[in-house]
Amino acid sequence: MNPFPPAAPERRTLRQALACATIAGLASILLLALSGWFLTGAAIAGASGAAAVVAFNYLIPSAAIRGLAILRTGGRYGERLLSHQAALTAMADLRGRLFGKLAAQDSRTAPDLASGDASARLIGDIEALEDLVVRRPGRPASLAAACFAVALVALAGWKAALALALLLAALPPLLTLAARRLTTRPAAEAADALGALRTAFVDYAAARPEIIAYGLAPRVADSMAALSRPLDRARAALARGDGVVAGLLAGYGTLAAALVFALAEGAAPVRALALLAAAASVEAMAAFARTALRQASVEQGMARLATLSQLPEELNPAPGGTAAGLPITLGGRVLDPGARIAITGVSGTGKTRLIEALAGLRAPVHPIDLGGTPVERCPADALRQQCALAPQDAMLIAGSIADNLRIARPGITEAEMHAALRTACLDTTVAGMPAGLETPIAEAGGTLSGGERKRLSLARALLARRPWLLLDEPSEGLDAATEAALVARLRDWLDTTGTGLLLVSHRHAPLALATARIDIAALARR
Amino acid sequence: MALQKQAGFAWIIDLGGAALFAWGIADGVAAAAAGHAAPATAFAAMLGGGLLRAATAWGVPVLAVRGAQATTAPLRHSLVQRLLGSGAAPSSGQSAVLAIDHVATIEGYETRFVPARVAAAAAPLVAVGIIACASLVAASILIGTLVPFVFGMILAGTAARRASERQLEALGDLSDLFVDRVRTLPIVRHFGAEERIARQVGVATREVARRTIAVLRVAFLSSAVLEFFSALAVALVAVYCGFSLLGLLPFPDPETLTLREAFFALAMAPEFYLPMRRLAAAYHDKQLGEAARAAIAAVPDLAPPATAPAAFTGVEARAVVIAWPGRTIGPARLSIGTTGLVALTGPTGSGKTSLLAAIAGQIPPSSGTLTAPGADAIAWAAQHPLILPGTLRDNLVLAAPHAGDAAVRAAIEQVGLAPMLARRGADLDLLLDHRGSGLSGGERRRLGLARALLADRPLLLADEPTADLDDASAEAITALLRAVATARAVIVATHDPRLIAAADAEVTL
Repeated sequence: MNPFPPAAPERRTLRQALACATIAGLASILLLALSGWFLTGAAIAGASGAAAVVAFNYLIPSAAIRGLAILRTGGRYGERLLSHQAALTAMADLRGRLFGKLAAQDSRTAPDLASGDASARLIGDIEALEDLVVRRPGRPASLAAACFAVALVALAGWKAALALALLLAALPPLLTLAARRLTTRPAAEAADALGALRTAFVDYAAARPEIIAYGLAPRVADSMAALSRPLDRARAALARGDGVVAGLLAGYGTLAAALVFALAEGAAPVRALALLAAAASVEAMAAFARTALRQASVEQGMARLATLSQLPEELNPAPGGTAAGLPITLGGRVLDPGARIAITGVSGTGKTRLIEALAGLRAPVHPIDLGGTPVERCPADALRQQCALAPQDAMLIAGSIADNLRIARPGITEAEMHAALRTACLDTTVAGMPAGLETPIAEAGGTLSGGERKRLSLARALLARRPWLLLDEPSEGLDAATEAALVARLRDWLDTTGTGLLLVSHRHAPLALATARIDIAALARR
Repeated sequence: MALQKQAGFAWIIDLGGAALFAWGIADGVAAAAAGHAAPATAFAAMLGGGLLRAATAWGVPVLAVRGAQATTAPLRHSLVQRLLGSGAAPSSGQSAVLAIDHVATIEGYETRFVPARVAAAAAPLVAVGIIACASLVAASILIGTLVPFVFGMILAGTAARRASERQLEALGDLSDLFVDRVRTLPIVRHFGAEERIARQVGVATREVARRTIAVLRVAFLSSAVLEFFSALAVALVAVYCGFSLLGLLPFPDPETLTLREAFFALAMAPEFYLPMRRLAAAYHDKQLGEAARAAIAAVPDLAPPATAPAAFTGVEARAVVIAWPGRTIGPARLSIGTTGLVALTGPTGSGKTSLLAAIAGQIPPSSGTLTAPGADAIAWAAQHPLILPGTLRDNLVLAAPHAGDAAVRAAIEQVGLAPMLARRGADLDLLLDHRGSGLSGGERRRLGLARALLADRPLLLADEPTADLDDASAEAITALLRAVATARAVIVATHDPRLIAAADAEVTL
């Protein structure tokens, strides 16, 4: 069921955790059972006179009781620490492998995990899996404790032992059945209701200006309250399921104790021992209850992770060195390497889509060939060897300015970074920052303005040294003077490097970089 | 008292069940030691105690979740109002997390942590009281363990809590890094950097895991202290009672124990620390719940509606700049009187909608001067209009509750929705859900425009009114807006050249 089984070192740690859990479980049962035996024996000896008291060996049991208390504590500590250690190491490994798998996809066909919802779900699924690994030693340790309790009870005769064995054997399937019947449906309903509620909220949030303009917030809140009722109902049902399983466990413990005591034979101390061992053994089975209750919500996450783990790896590692430029064919026009073309047309007609198709990010809707091959049939690797994109929204990674520039290609020197920042008219801004190139840019903006983010993204594209540079609205948000400087420096850079240019711009100044224009409306759509 | 707190006190009933069970087994064992058969009352007490315990274990979460939802439902209601009723609220994704996920987290806090906290404060004292009925010394021993227990928890707990809270943050940062790298994968792949970034993610996750394990070594000490004292309580009571029954205590025994009393005290001893173990099990819910509460507390309350100026005199904006961290819109200059049509243009993402929102007083400009009317002077025809579950009529009259059917039909006719209704054979009673199922994007936009016209307010703000419309429809809407502009002030955000051409003035962002 687990699509990512732990590796050998984690399995070893988990075995150690299991040993600790078993020690804790056995110590827990023995502590209570031995205490019961000791008390009853002491009472009988105390009532039988001084000779019996002298004959009663009280030192070993009383020392054992104190020792068991320490053993139980140590065992639990070891179990918790080792199982968390195994889970954390396994999950670090899983995150790495999962990321590697996702990274090796072709962007045009990869699962879209960019939305907040999808990535939050991915994190949640990984955490659920971590929880599963932490709980893994619990169940076999419970079984060991159960067997031990049955062996202890056997001291009081086979009938009591058989009864306890049957009761304990029936408990895990009973718990699983109860948990499944009570939680499977509410867990699915809660997940659906949560999704529906979130969708509704995002829909309403898109209408925020109207809600404010007409003062409709109370009405919208009423509508959301109606939509959240199924969620509340499902979550209440889940809480009821928790309660039923906990109640079942509590009642079962007393039933087992009473039954074992009724069937126990022999001396009173042994019967007391059997009674308390039986009560403690049911308590030790709580691990089954917890696992059973979480099963329903964990299964869906496991299935999603399994789908991701089965994705084929399509992307080959990027080769070093620079490839020779290939011609681009756009609407029957062949653009040789080094050509500088502006794509024109009104908003919403697919200029960005065209550029991104050439960059290998999305499937094209217009006919466009690279080196004589239609773009949709070019392998992703061929596209990225030819083109370097500065996209419309800057697409920066969380990290420092240098982290972002280093993405462009391996082995970029600091001097190269400064040169690229200068071409992008960002050199003075970065020089003025407290940590220079190592200044962190916060994930959602932060220290850089929108225009600065775009120019950083431009510097990154320059550093990639690809035969074609793809620019989407490079000067948006710039004042006229900076825009003029940017255009002049870009022209120098293009002249020096002989790089080809495909440009989309709403503003007039950058269009001067292009030697020809292609109207997107003239291209047939596919 | 809130139900979830009552649920906490209900754990005391559980103690009653435990006492009944303990009495049953003590009675049974005492009878066995005396050589009699265990009386039926002993078995009845055991099973009765078990039933009581089972009923409490079932009832507490049921009661607690009801109480929790009685708290979270109004909270969600008020959050939705605060988050959707203010332009200064966080983005829709963050708002959804606040109003939905954080509220669910608080429900978990109220359901699991609050009853456990109430029980941990009350139940140990009750347990000691019950045990004292059988053996005062055993009760004193339990209270005596409390002192080193509290001391140990303070020692192990304080250091561990700080370390583990820092580590929780580190784990959160790691999740953020992971999400960020997954989100930016397309550009990372584009530059062929996926192997390097994957290595970096791998190193970062392993590093955080290594440090977390080091922290857990200390953090788990506090639960070990709890575990140790709950085991020690049983051991000490067992050893004391055993030696007392043997008459071998090294000090004068203040009480004469019978086996029944001793066994009862032993069976009840684990109950003393049980409430605290339940509390420890709910600790994660406490941490998450408190973080969620802090995040929700940061959401501003709704400002009372500004007092509107007497009459609408037009909009005057000079050098208006709207700034967020990392993003600046403007400076923009815009002027319109009581009538006329102004087109606001600029590429996608240049901030046309934000400037409209600033004119409507929904977001404050960070600099510049802006003279704008009060909220009740503004009608807004949105790009994604609000659709509430209900009839078409309900949705059209949201801003004009007293509009009659004739006025509603006239507005439908004006915006060109009439053919759609005729085609469906539907009337004003057409049922809509919140997604506007069955309506196309263009039809929904027309609905928003009809609603804005019905609102009959002096300033109309229209966001992309002609996008996604075919040529004929776009021309009809342009003509309509032109006509409206003879009696009212109209500002449209658009990049439709025909609409721009029809405008009296164009403002480019």
